[in-house]
Amino acid sequence: MAGLTIETARKCFGSIEVLKGVSIAVADGEFTVIVGPSGCGKSTLLRAVAGLEELDGGRIIIGDRDVTRLAPSERGIAMVFQSYALYPHLSVRENMAFGLRIAKVDKAEIAQQVQRAAQILNIEALLDRKPAALSGGQRQRVAIGRAIVRQPQIFLFDEPLSNLDADLRVRMRYEFARLHRQLGTTTLYVTHDQVEAMTLADRIVVLRDGRIEQIGSPRMLYERPANIFVAQFLGTPRMNILPATMADDGRAALADGRRLALPALAAPLAAGTSLSVGIRPEHVRIGDAPDALAFTIDFIERLGGLATVHLQSAAGGGPIACQLRDDGSLREGSSAPVRLPTEHLHLFDPSGAAIETRGERP
Amino acid sequence: MSLRRWTVTLLAALVALFTIAPLLWMLSVSFMARGEAAQFPPPLLPGDPTLDNYRALFGSFGIGHFLINSLLVSTLATLLALFFTIPAGYAFAKLRFRGRDATFRLLVAALVVPGQIGMLPLFLELKAMGLVNSYAGALVPWLAGIFGIFLVRQYCLTIPDEMLEAARIDGASEAQILRRIVLPLLSPIIVTLALFVFLGSWNDFMWPLIILADQDLYTLPVALAAMSREHVQDNELMMAGAVVTTLPVLVLFLALQRFYLSGLTTGSVKG
Ligand SMILES: Nc1ncnc2c1ncn2[C@@H]1O[C@H](COP(=O)(O)OP(=O)(O)O)[C@@H](O)[C@H]1O
Ligand SMILES: [Mg+2]
Repeated sequence: MAGLTIETARKCFGSIEVLKGVSIAVADGEFTVIVGPSGCGKSTLLRAVAGLEELDGGRIIIGDRDVTRLAPSERGIAMVFQSYALYPHLSVRENMAFGLRIAKVDKAEIAQQVQRAAQILNIEALLDRKPAALSGGQRQRVAIGRAIVRQPQIFLFDEPLSNLDADLRVRMRYEFARLHRQLGTTTLYVTHDQVEAMTLADRIVVLRDGRIEQIGSPRMLYERPANIFVAQFLGTPRMNILPATMADDGRAALADGRRLALPALAAPLAAGTSLSVGIRPEHVRIGDAPDALAFTIDFIERLGGLATVHLQSAAGGGPIACQLRDDGSLREGSSAPVRLPTEHLHLFDPSGAAIETRGERP
Repeated sequence: MSLRRWTVTLLAALVALFTIAPLLWMLSVSFMARGEAAQFPPPLLPGDPTLDNYRALFGSFGIGHFLINSLLVSTLATLLALFFTIPAGYAFAKLRFRGRDATFRLLVAALVVPGQIGMLPLFLELKAMGLVNSYAGALVPWLAGIFGIFLVRQYCLTIPDEMLEAARIDGASEAQILRRIVLPLLSPIIVTLALFVFLGSWNDFMWPLIILADQDLYTLPVALAAMSREHVQDNELMMAGAVVTTLPVLVLFLALQRFYLSGLTTGSVKG
C-alpha cells in the first residue's frame, strides 16, 4: 500500500482551465473524499490520477514513484466508474478476472483472488451471471470486486453511488465504510453529495471551479469552514448567512437594524465594516430570552421527528432556517422569538473568507 | 383474428408473392426443355422437367469453375473488408488522433460520389501497379468500404468510453481491447457487414468485367454474361445459370437472417 500525492495539478480542455493547480496529499490507508458541485473538475482530477487524462502541469506520485507519465495499468490503481463499466458479454467471474487474465496470472491464483473478492462483497452466488441479469446494487458490487481483485495500492471511486436509489445508497455507503476498514487501502473517492463526504471521509477536500477551497476532517470543515462556500456546501439545511455591519458598540447590526452580540474576535474590526454572520439551522433557537429577536414563521417542513422552520423577520431581515425537534406547537404565520447563540456564530468578511474568532466551539 | 389483421396479412402475402414470383419462375424455367419458355403464353411449370440445362452448365460450360472463382473472390473480399473496416470504424469512433473528425467527414462526403466515377482512375492506378487481370485488383474496391467503416463507427459510438477505460486500467493493450471487448460487442454488426460485402462482391458485375481479362479468372456474373452473348436464345440455360448464381447467397442470407436483422436494429438501442 502507499500514499498518494498530487502536486499542483493543472488541466485545460481547449481554452478552459478545469484544474487550476490542485495539490492534495493522501496518507497511506486514508479515505479521502473530494466533494464539490457538479462540473468543478472532480472527475477530471480522478481520471488524471488514474492516467486516463494527461495533466498539463503538475505531478502525481504514488508511494515513492512519480507516475505522471505512466500508463493507467502501471500505476497500481483500480477505478470504479459511475456507470460501473462492466463488460456486458462476460460473466461476473470473467469481469472480475479480466485484469489478471490480461496480466497472465496463473489460473489457480486468479480463481482464488476472484473467490476472495466475491466473499468480501457477498456476491459468490452471482459469479456465473452476466451483468444484464444483475440489479443496480449488484452491479455496483461487481465493479468494486473487479477493483479489489487487482489488489491496487489506491482505490479510485467516481460517484459510485449516484446511480442507486436513496435506500440502497445508504446501505452501500455503510458497505464502503466496512470495506475500507477491512482492506485499509488508500482511497480517493469523488462525490457531489456532501452527506457521503461527511459520513465516509477521514479527510474531505472541497473543490470548486478547479481550485481547492479547504481540506480537513469532516468535523473540522463543519465547525471551522474557511469560507462561506464551504460553510454552505456542507450540512443540510445549509448554513444561514445574514448580512451585517459592525456597530460602534462591538455588536453587529443586521440588515433590519437589530443588534447581535458577536463572539470575541482575534483582531478587532472597525465600526462600519461589513461582514456576514453565519449560523447553522440546528443552532438557531426558538424560545423567549432577553436577547431574542422577533421573527415570523413563514413555513414549516415537517420531517417526522425533526422540522425545518423557515423564518422571516418583521423588519425585512432573513429569511433564516431553523431545525428543531418537532413537538407540533409551532404554527405557520405566528410570530416566534429567535435566539442566535453567540458561541455558534460564524463570521465572514465581504470576500467570503472566515474571520477568526477566539475560543472553542461547543 | 380480426378483419383488420386478415387484411394486413393478405396484403403482405400479395407483396411477397409479387417479389418471389420471378424467382420461382426462374427456378421453374431452369427445368424446362430448350425453347419451352419462349412459347406463348409461357408455361408456369415445365411440361417434362429435365436436368439437361444443369448438365450443360456444369459439363460443357464448366460453371463449377466460375462458382469456385466467385466463392474465392467473395470470401476474400469479406475477410479483407472485415479486417480493415472494423479497426478503422473503431478508431474513428473511439481513438483520439489528429485530424480524425476531418478525415471522417471527408470519407462520408465521398459516399455521395457514385462508384462508377472512381473506376477509371482506379483502373489506371492498378494498371500502373501491375494488378490488372488479377484477383488482387478485383478485391481492391472491397478492402475498406466507406459504408462499412461508417456502420462500424456508428455502432462503436454506442459503446461507453468508460468500458474501454476500465479495460485500459485492467492492463489491456489497444489490440486486446479491440479483440476481447469491442469485437464481441460488435458481433451482430459484423454479421451484417459480412453479408453486405459478400452479397455485394458476389453480385458485382462491372468491376470484375473491367479488371479481369482472362476468361479463367471470371466470376459467375461475368461468365454468365459472356455465356448469354453466345446463347442469346437459350432462356432455359440462362435461367439455370441464374439459379446457380442466386442460390448460394440466398441460402447464406436465410441462414444468417436472424443475426442480420438484430445487427441492423441493435446499434440504435444502447446496451
Ligand atoms: N473531455 C472533455 N473535453 C472538454 N471538456 C471537458 C471534458 N471533460 C470534462 N470537461 C469539462 O471540464 C469541467 C469539469 O468536468 P468534470 O471533471 O467531469 O466535473 P465533475 O466531475 O466535478 O462534475 C466541466 O466543465 C466539463 O464540461
Ligand atoms: Mg463527474
